[in-house]
Amino acid sequence: MYFAQLFISGLLSGAVLGLIGVGFSLVLGVGKIANFAHGAFVAVGLYAGYWIGHDLGVNPYLLVVPVALAFGVAGWGVAEVYERRGRKVGPIGELLVGLALLLVLNGGLAEIFGENPVNLTNYQLGSVTVFREAISGSELVAAIFTVTVAVGIYLFLRMSRWGRALRAVAENASAAGLYGVRVPVARRAAVVGSIVLAGVSGLLISPFTVMTPEAGSTYLIAAFAVVILGGVGNAVGAVVAGLVVGVIDSLAVGYASTAWTTLVPLLIILGYLLIRPVSVEV
Amino acid sequence: MTRRTVITIVVAVLGTALGWIFLGIIPAASLSVLVLALYYAVGGTSFNFLYGSLGVFSLAQVVFLAAGGYTDVYLYDRFGVSPWLSLLIAPVVAALLALPIALASSRAGSGPIITALITLIVAEAIPPVLIAIGPLGGAIGLYVTAPAHVTFWSMQFSSQAAFARLLFVYCVVAMLVLTVWKRSRAGYYVTAVRDSPEASAAVGIPNTRMRILTFMVSAAIAAPAGVIYAQYSLEVNSDLFLSSTALFEIIVVALVGGAARVWGGFVGAIVIVLLSNEITSLANGAPGVGPLTFAGVFLLIALLMPRGLSGTWAQLVEGLERRREATRGKSVLIGAPAIQDSGGDALVPGAPGAAAVPQRGGDDGEPRPG
Repeated sequence: MYFAQLFISGLLSGAVLGLIGVGFSLVLGVGKIANFAHGAFVAVGLYAGYWIGHDLGVNPYLLVVPVALAFGVAGWGVAEVYERRGRKVGPIGELLVGLALLLVLNGGLAEIFGENPVNLTNYQLGSVTVFREAISGSELVAAIFTVTVAVGIYLFLRMSRWGRALRAVAENASAAGLYGVRVPVARRAAVVGSIVLAGVSGLLISPFTVMTPEAGSTYLIAAFAVVILGGVGNAVGAVVAGLVVGVIDSLAVGYASTAWTTLVPLLIILGYLLIRPVSVEV
Repeated sequence: MTRRTVITIVVAVLGTALGWIFLGIIPAASLSVLVLALYYAVGGTSFNFLYGSLGVFSLAQVVFLAAGGYTDVYLYDRFGVSPWLSLLIAPVVAALLALPIALASSRAGSGPIITALITLIVAEAIPPVLIAIGPLGGAIGLYVTAPAHVTFWSMQFSSQAAFARLLFVYCVVAMLVLTVWKRSRAGYYVTAVRDSPEASAAVGIPNTRMRILTFMVSAAIAAPAGVIYAQYSLEVNSDLFLSSTALFEIIVVALVGGAARVWGGFVGAIVIVLLSNEITSLANGAPGVGPLTFAGVFLLIALLMPRGLSGTWAQLVEGLERRREATRGKSVLIGAPAIQDSGGDALVPGAPGAAAVPQRGGDDGEPRPG
């Protein structure tokens, strides 16, 4: 069952794209910031997993919580930079800060780990068999984590006071401010949350991913595709879009050639934009 | 002829002459660095043209430089068309290529962020597409078959200085185009479109058409530099023209220079390319140090001078003028609008780099108590 195999592997890789897109979408929705460094933080998460597994000899899965905390602290720093400097010059200033961060993170990773692709070998979880197809346990964990996070974020945005505040800021920041929502805090929270998500998704996929310092750009494009398809600020939409992109990509690569891997998300975005322009003014 | 026009012409002619002489006397070793700097200067200028005119952040300018390179080598290699003719053909090709991008990003609801995303996607999508096109040489690209003897018609010269001079002259031409544009009717139209689309539509300016036109002009500005650079490096391929290094280099050059003055891209390129060259040689071959320092410098500039060198310059000049007005005893209230309007050399009056951009919303304060 070649098709089923491709379909399932597409779903699994798509889930990861969705997870990466969720955070990007959140920041774009709430903070109106296109965080160009988002993909780079995924790359940092990947290399954190590599460092933990390869240099410390510890299973990366055991250190998810400390890594998430570390990314939270880093994310808070980034949020401060965005709020204090980027916002002074309007949206372009934020793009600029994001680009600069992207360059710094890429350069830093290349400096520490070298330019050559590396991968972790001995921390893969076992595999399970579904419909007579073997599925890698590690990929399954990442997919389950994605779905849990997406549902969690959806419920958080719908049900909790904090979530309502975030949605209010996304809708109309000045009006939300007048009603007593602390807008700068909400925006910082969105940035911190998205960077934690980016770092943790990098860590979770590190056992089965070949990584290079530039991996971040690929994830950035995937995140764009997911956001445009799934709608800005829509967590569940982001995951569905991620799955769609993953499956189409996997089928294209399986039946056509590997050259399509980079091209598919791009074609999907361009096609979609030409049919239906994005409705949110960002 | 107004005084402003005379000054522009005198500055352009003097600058060209000085640059011409300077490029003749510097050592050959630094020429290759300068050729690269001038090539990026054109890329940065075309980026700043678009950004200054429309406030649009385009990451696809490398594509238009590459379009120039490919047009030139393809026509020269297959049909023997002179590169000098390609200088005229390439802008047309680049402008046509810019048309769909402009259409996609000029549609209703596409703000600056979506435009940045679309252009990034285009820039990333072109290399795999190019590799799939056989006549353009696939992954290997195309080569300029060096003629048996150096001829002027084939744009081949025995010294690097000639290429540097050619690129430099083109830089001046590009800056002149920007100057003329900003003083033209089209320039004022585009400023109106950027500052208030509703008001400009109300007075009958064709908004979408002006946006698309600006996109195409900025693509056309970039293309000839690609032609000259391809003749200089004797090859054209996606690694040379479309690597992510090239993409970021152009943006860094443009942003360090700033869009507040027409010379922003030029000065930015000279500063950045010389600086990164210096850093690399200081690092003495230690891997990664060069790019990392470069990125650090860029981050610092992004934080300290968000409007770039020319934006900081514009602010200084404005500050001085305001002080002079104040000491003359004029009423600040009457004086203030006049100063803002005088915008000096700004790429377009009130370009995002030239004047303080109002902050978005009313929500920029610190967390309020309670």
